[in-house]
Amino acid sequence: MALVTVFRRLALVRLREYTRRSAAVGPSAWLTGQRSFTTGTQTLRSDNKVTIHFINRDGEKITVKGSPGDSLLDVVINEDLDFDGFGACEGTLACSTCHLIFDEDVYKKLGPVTDEEMDMLDLAYGLTDTSRLGCQICLTKSIEGIVARVPESVADIRQSKDGSS
Amino acid sequence: MALLNNFTTACLRNFQGDRLHNQLFFVVRALHKSAASESYGMSTAREEAMAERLITPSDAGVKTAVKTLKDMPGPSTLSNLVEFFWRDGFSRIHEIQMEHCKKFGKIFKSRFGPQLVVSVADRDLVAEVLRAEREAPQRANMESWKEYRDMRGRATGLISAEGEDWLKMRSVLRQLIMRPRDVAVFSDDVNQVVDDLIKRVCILRTQEIDGATVLNVNDLFFKYAMEGVAAILYECRLGCLEDKIPEDTQDYIGALHLMFSSFKTTMYAGAIPKWLRPIIPKPWEEFCHSWDGLFRFSLIHVDKRLSAIKDQLERGEEVKGGLLTHMLVTKEMTLEEIYANVTEMLLAGVDTTSFTLSWATYLLARNPEVQEQIFTEVTKTLGPGVVATADDVSRLPLIRGLVKETLRLFPVLPGNGRITQDDLVVGGYFIPKGTQLALCHFYTSMDDENFPDATDFRPDRWIRKDSTDRVDNFGSIPFGYGIRSCIGRRIAELEMHLALTRLIQKFHIGVSPLTADVRAKTHGLLCPSAPINLQFTDRKN
Repeated sequence: MALVTVFRRLALVRLREYTRRSAAVGPSAWLTGQRSFTTGTQTLRSDNKVTIHFINRDGEKITVKGSPGDSLLDVVINEDLDFDGFGACEGTLACSTCHLIFDEDVYKKLGPVTDEEMDMLDLAYGLTDTSRLGCQICLTKSIEGIVARVPESVADIRQSKDGSS
Repeated sequence: MALLNNFTTACLRNFQGDRLHNQLFFVVRALHKSAASESYGMSTAREEAMAERLITPSDAGVKTAVKTLKDMPGPSTLSNLVEFFWRDGFSRIHEIQMEHCKKFGKIFKSRFGPQLVVSVADRDLVAEVLRAEREAPQRANMESWKEYRDMRGRATGLISAEGEDWLKMRSVLRQLIMRPRDVAVFSDDVNQVVDDLIKRVCILRTQEIDGATVLNVNDLFFKYAMEGVAAILYECRLGCLEDKIPEDTQDYIGALHLMFSSFKTTMYAGAIPKWLRPIIPKPWEEFCHSWDGLFRFSLIHVDKRLSAIKDQLERGEEVKGGLLTHMLVTKEMTLEEIYANVTEMLLAGVDTTSFTLSWATYLLARNPEVQEQIFTEVTKTLGPGVVATADDVSRLPLIRGLVKETLRLFPVLPGNGRITQDDLVVGGYFIPKGTQLALCHFYTSMDDENFPDATDFRPDRWIRKDSTDRVDNFGSIPFGYGIRSCIGRRIAELEMHLALTRLIQKFHIGVSPLTADVRAKTHGLLCPSAPINLQFTDRKN
């Protein structure tokens, strides 16, 4: 267990490192197909923080702030929110563990869903019509104050499930 | 990569009927938050006796008894040996998977020598297993791979590494090549390779009497896939699609062919105990020999790029480049780790892509109405003769559907492996930590319950009406799911989407009279059992 905890911590640390790194070698450098490695001036983020309310698996409301441009997954990581198993693939669209559920009016404001996100959502546990992946939603002022609900965890559900498959 | 995974799916036989449906409510208390074991164990073969010992009344929990591995149906060790060694079961792994799932149910055990394997062929159970994964899932026993690397002083890469070593490298690499938007930047590089693919088709067909046929398209797609992966991984072109292939590239192809052609012997290389090697030396020798060739090739290309970077730095120039340059400059992995990873990624990215392209074009040729439907979509969306880029693919749902449907019918990996890292209860059975599981993707993707009329080729079954329309599920996950899923997935998809779009735009693809029904066989991967010969006739644009 200790080793596993170390792994988890390691993954979190890496994600944080990456968050910083991605600011330095941003997607714009990548988009040209050529990365430049000699400079890395980080642009100062404005103080226009965006407020997000998460509802965790115990139904508790947790209110945090994040910077515009960060994803909801970034916010969970940066704020050290303890949602077990959340964001396992570090926002690389290989899993659906950063699945979040929104109210319908909020869902409509979140912008278009890519094919790759939809494919991953298909594999999300407890999927709803207003589900999204937290790693794909970037903070903007227009979503100030939204509520994002973390779905029930897989294990909790399984305990009451019958096994005839 | 696939070699060992498939090995695990190999052992599929049962001795008794489907006991799953007889009974029993059970408690899935062990999944994910397992009670019993805390340490990060990786032992492979476990005895049923172990499971019995571990089950205690308190483990059995609230409701009713959890069955043990002893209760699980499965074949005798002897019948398994006969199936695989005398009746060449290795090439029919996928068929054996189907037969036994149908006959005995969706979870069963089998034995391959000392190795116990539990096969899981139910979509929902596969989902449960994959969702219960920890931070560094283990696929199969990779000791022979590790032993080679230790012997030669090489590092392990993403396929052969485990635990913390694996997680460290995965964390670096997934940030570079897993996000679709990061991979989209390779669009132009891949399109240049597609240009050469089209030219090559035009040259090859002139060599046949009808002026249309390309013999054994897999040979062509193998070169395309290799050129495509190398363009991204090594940031250089290899010349695979040229008339005359450079010598070092030819040597590499030789090593790769050896790796796959000696599939069985390399399998045994891992299975044969070390003390037997003096008596049966060939498998291990071939295994080492092919790895030597694969590593040698990567070293050449990585070193070439490294010295170019050094020269640039000495001249005070700004260093710019793609994936390899990024890895070499940022030094998030050691040089040995870079060698190992580009070697393993190239190995994993060639046959997988080429088999899928071969099947996709074969299916298009066999289903001309589907081909017309896709051609119409492509032409309407892009306009005649316009070359698609990565950004256009989202507007070509049938192209995406074509790749998904091809991989559903012919999943390159008919099964994948997992070694459990917790005590689990799966399908009502207690499965102790350290058990080798085989996830039977071939069965689930051909199951009518998951995909109505499952044998039909229908790319449009993947089309969504809107963004809340769910069309996919754990029944077909050709790239796997989660933290240990295929790292090259987005690169492979890009290569296939762009190549297929262009082929469909440019040619009408038909079956050559030389080709009858081509069935699949397992040869490490699921591959065509005979050459696929296709006719490429120019479309009038």
